[in-house]
Amino acid sequence: MSGPGRDPATTPASDSAADAVANREAWNAKAPDYAEAGRRAWSGERPPSWGLWHQPESELNVLGDVRGLDVLDYGCGTGYWSAWLTRAGARVTAFDNAPEQLATCRRFQDEFGIAFPIQLASAGQLDPERFRDASFDLILSEYGGLTWADPYATLPECARLLRPGGRLAFLKISTLLEVCWPLGSAVAGDELVLDWFGLHRLVEPADSSVAFDLPPGEWIRLFREHGLVVESLRELRPPADAAPSRHAFVMLDWARQWPAEELWTVRKA
Amino acid sequence: MASSDPDTAGGLTESARANRAFWDGYSTEYQALHHEALGGDPAWGLWRTPDAQLGVLGDVAGLDVLELGCGGAQFSLQLAARGARVTGLDNSEAQLAHARALQEQFGLSFPLVHGQAEQLPFPAESFDLVFNDFGAATFADPLPMIPEIARVLRRGGRLAFAHASPLDWLCFDDDADAWGSKLLHPLFGMRSETDTAGTVAFNLSHGEWIRLFTSCGLQIERLVEWQPAPDAVSTYRDEPTCAWARRWPIEEIWVVSKP
Repeated sequence: MSGPGRDPATTPASDSAADAVANREAWNAKAPDYAEAGRRAWSGERPPSWGLWHQPESELNVLGDVRGLDVLDYGCGTGYWSAWLTRAGARVTAFDNAPEQLATCRRFQDEFGIAFPIQLASAGQLDPERFRDASFDLILSEYGGLTWADPYATLPECARLLRPGGRLAFLKISTLLEVCWPLGSAVAGDELVLDWFGLHRLVEPADSSVAFDLPPGEWIRLFREHGLVVESLRELRPPADAAPSRHAFVMLDWARQWPAEELWTVRKA
Repeated sequence: MASSDPDTAGGLTESARANRAFWDGYSTEYQALHHEALGGDPAWGLWRTPDAQLGVLGDVAGLDVLELGCGGAQFSLQLAARGARVTGLDNSEAQLAHARALQEQFGLSFPLVHGQAEQLPFPAESFDLVFNDFGAATFADPLPMIPEIARVLRRGGRLAFAHASPLDWLCFDDDADAWGSKLLHPLFGMRSETDTAGTVAFNLSHGEWIRLFTSCGLQIERLVEWQPAPDAVSTYRDEPTCAWARRWPIEEIWVVSKP
């Protein structure tokens, strides 16, 4: 193992409860910064779109027709995806680990008159009484629970929650960007600085938040272990004339050469 | 000894023609350098990691197996010795000459076919396992090749191949002739690369490999990314490269199945 700040543990068993508390505090603090972007999405000013550069779902066509589907927004933040999907005719349930994010979500529900159930809960630790086996057709996470909780806990949980034929779609930072982004640094560079092997739990020194990622081979191994069939890995490439992202940890020039973001879709057999 | 005529030269793609010329000229030197390392139990890649450790092929007894880009057919001979019904295909007649000599040496006989992997001269659903180790998945164009492999696989059959990781391509410094930590080449648009010797190698990003597999009805089973042992020796790569490959995957194995 090497890499600054890398957790020395290579075993899948991280302390999920402690990490969820750290991430709750970090996201409660960050919540005000996400309200305005959330409002643009809720209001319809921004159509359904993915990632740092808002690439339209109408072009990527990840989700297809969601009318009548039972959807779980797996770490909903301000709930903008839930709002989009509810408008599109899905029956959405949303949860998040941060009460302040959910407060924003509730405010927007009232303001925009879009209702769906929201719960305070932690990805990877969902109560099976409240979140029943085989109860969703689609689970969606955009920088949600699949980023901020341990995939060794969240992937079996998603597999449990999906109906046969149901799909999981999640967007995350690419593994390549992950290893080119020095922990504690504001921006990724064009040099490998973290090890690919053993990539798992990444602690941000500034706010002690804990993000997770795996090498692609390990993601695939976990999918298969839990009965999930790989449908696609979309490596997002923003257009050359994309408006600047409000997140400055990766430059457009970087993302034009290498995928900064990856969107996996898998299906429960 | 079954061997098809090298009669497809007129139909060769440009890259296959270039690679055939290179391998016909280089084969004897290559075999002198690497033949010994390629012997022994089935093993993969630059540091000859045992298949028993990676668990890719498992028991091959009784399977109809096609090695695409078999070279001297060392791997095929090992599988034939374990009870597989093997066919070896290579684009280089010189490589196949070494394969034939080895067959005689080991007293094992199986078909050796001269041709390019983008146009397979086999009926549909002929094989239970198609594999290669830095063979056709490196030197043939995957866009026509993967549909051909999907065609010749039986239902329940598998494709497994080792090749250079995309990261290997991103970080190879042509001037230094070594791998560094800088990203020197873009990933978007990755498709083929012609080296100074004139050989044409092919690769895709992980997302594009997955798109290609699934578009041919193949299901993703594994992407094996592994580290060489700290003291691993290789006839292909030097010690600094081993140190690089301990941190980032320089080689990988895709395993896909035909449901």
